[in-house]
Amino acid sequence: MRVGIVGAGVMGEVHANAWRSTEATLMGCTAANLEQAARLAQQHNIKVYQNHTELLRDIDIVDICVPTYDHKSLVLQAAAAGKHVICEKPIALNVPDGLEMIAACEKAGVRLFIAMVVRFFPQYKLSRELFAKGQIGKLGVVRLKRVSYPPQKPTDNWYADDSRSGGMVVDLMIHDFDYARWLGGEIERVYARLNRAEAGIKQYAQAILRYKNGSMALIEGGWAYPPGVFRTALDISGTDGVIEWNSDAQAPVYTFTLTREGSSSAVGLPLAGLSDDPYSLEIQHAYRCIQNGEPFAVTPQDGLEALRIALAAKESIASGKPVNL
Amino acid sequence: MRVGILSFAHLHAEGYQSILKQMPGVELVGFSHSIPEEAQAYSERFGLRAFSSDQSLLAEGLDGVIVCSENAHHLESVQQAAQAKCHILCEKPIETNEPDAQAMRVACEKNQVHFMTAFPMRFAPSTQAVRQTIQAGQLGSIFGINGINHSEIPKAHRAWFADKGLAGGGAVMDHVVHLADLLRWYFEAEISEVYAEIDNLFYPSEVSVDTAGLLLLKLSNGIQASIDCSWSRPIWYPRWGHLKMEIVGDQGTAVMDSFAQSISVFARGAPRNPTWIGWGPDANRSMLEEWVSSIREKRAPSVGWNDGYQALRVALAAYQSASSQTPVIL
Repeated sequence: MRVGIVGAGVMGEVHANAWRSTEATLMGCTAANLEQAARLAQQHNIKVYQNHTELLRDIDIVDICVPTYDHKSLVLQAAAAGKHVICEKPIALNVPDGLEMIAACEKAGVRLFIAMVVRFFPQYKLSRELFAKGQIGKLGVVRLKRVSYPPQKPTDNWYADDSRSGGMVVDLMIHDFDYARWLGGEIERVYARLNRAEAGIKQYAQAILRYKNGSMALIEGGWAYPPGVFRTALDISGTDGVIEWNSDAQAPVYTFTLTREGSSSAVGLPLAGLSDDPYSLEIQHAYRCIQNGEPFAVTPQDGLEALRIALAAKESIASGKPVNL
Repeated sequence: MRVGILSFAHLHAEGYQSILKQMPGVELVGFSHSIPEEAQAYSERFGLRAFSSDQSLLAEGLDGVIVCSENAHHLESVQQAAQAKCHILCEKPIETNEPDAQAMRVACEKNQVHFMTAFPMRFAPSTQAVRQTIQAGQLGSIFGINGINHSEIPKAHRAWFADKGLAGGGAVMDHVVHLADLLRWYFEAEISEVYAEIDNLFYPSEVSVDTAGLLLLKLSNGIQASIDCSWSRPIWYPRWGHLKMEIVGDQGTAVMDSFAQSISVFARGAPRNPTWIGWGPDANRSMLEEWVSSIREKRAPSVGWNDGYQALRVALAAYQSASSQTPVIL
């Protein structure tokens, strides 16, 4: 099938590479910033389209990798044009928009895949599988961490604008809200706290989720670390055992090399390709399901429910009270 | 200096007796224990003189005692020790409710004896380094702390830990006070707001106390902190559990795993395989050294009654929050 990418930022680039691992034909891309689109097109030897409408004419699947505030209009356009849609997370900035997008795709008879990539990280997938098989018994306390440095943009940092990104709680913590729900089911209530820097966008949040089944989860998220530091972790405890993983764990290869001055050693970065790329696994899955008409492992409703939890966390942060879902 | 241990109900008595026996100038006179068969067994195992009651041990004329009775019996032990003019090192939590904790303070003040709360983590080099890092401003302005004090269910060592009447609760009563105290000590601030989700998620058919707890706190300086106090590690986990904290600031983050200094042992037939055996400094020893020094120097110990009391209030507020499903203001 023919694929086009909208958006040529970091995610556009990552998705373009991921499409290369499928049998799909990557036709071209477009973006609000056409220079950026041209650069991406050049890298992948694909066409630059002047706008979304032109792109839609040539393709079967559109992959939407633009900032969150533009998701809705692009998804509605794609649905109206009868094209299948892959859309970056978060699905939307609010629940009504998400519902409208889902309804439009259903009505148009096109597939909508929300790119909740954490479900495709091998260690997260494996942990969930082992839990689902009953290896650690009934779910007790889940702990999930996702703290990074503040997102940087050379110009117009839309991440920093709550009204366009939903803020850190919606943009970043949604991954773990989704994962928590994937593990243990529906959430009954949320209580959260967030502290932010007086200037800039540095912030750190913690949310306690209580599941309908009684289990509980602590979700930690932040744009708080020094540049380049991004740490994630999971700790899933049950009545019969525990699953632990964290990103501080050693990579299969790491190197210690002399610095150029030859005076001291520097820690080398792990090499690429030492594990399966989650974005490729995600795009491969979505493509296979669209081709064969199979259900997605993560449905648009899942994407929407994760957003609902994130918005409840924001409401709790604002009100200082637990919020029932 | 002559010291004694009031009851061997608390597991820590076993470690304390071993440290005290090695301390120069300290004579461990013996211990009291109300159950004769157990007293006999501990006496033989540790080579210590057993006394059938607190009174009979206190009649020996001691300078100080460590209170290792069940949490709900602390007041009784402390009142007797104070009347006997003994300085006191009391296991945590100091009691199971606020009025009894207050009565302990009154007894000590009336008899002019010092009360030290057993918070060994204040004497761990890891927490001291973190405190120094924070107070030197190296992390900048702090956003929050992610605190973890996980363990296995302690009932295999001492059944009363999972008995509400004797322990005052389960995992929350057992673990919250350690991290609450470290937070107060790091920031020289009080905990002002407590939200908690508490349940018995891990051993619903075996015990009737809480085994899972997540707390989200606000400090009087605006900093937020979470505490996971769950008995969520299985009994086959490589060690009893751990104490971890991550302190996230606008200029940096400190990651602490206080028991990280361990070797991994894979021994045939071991109940934990591997077993993590620690080789780091013993915080209990440093804590006992401070207690003994404070008695010797006739001064107040560095950790007092109020520290134990404030930490207890956080644990009690957590129970209140969980039952009312609303944050509790302290």
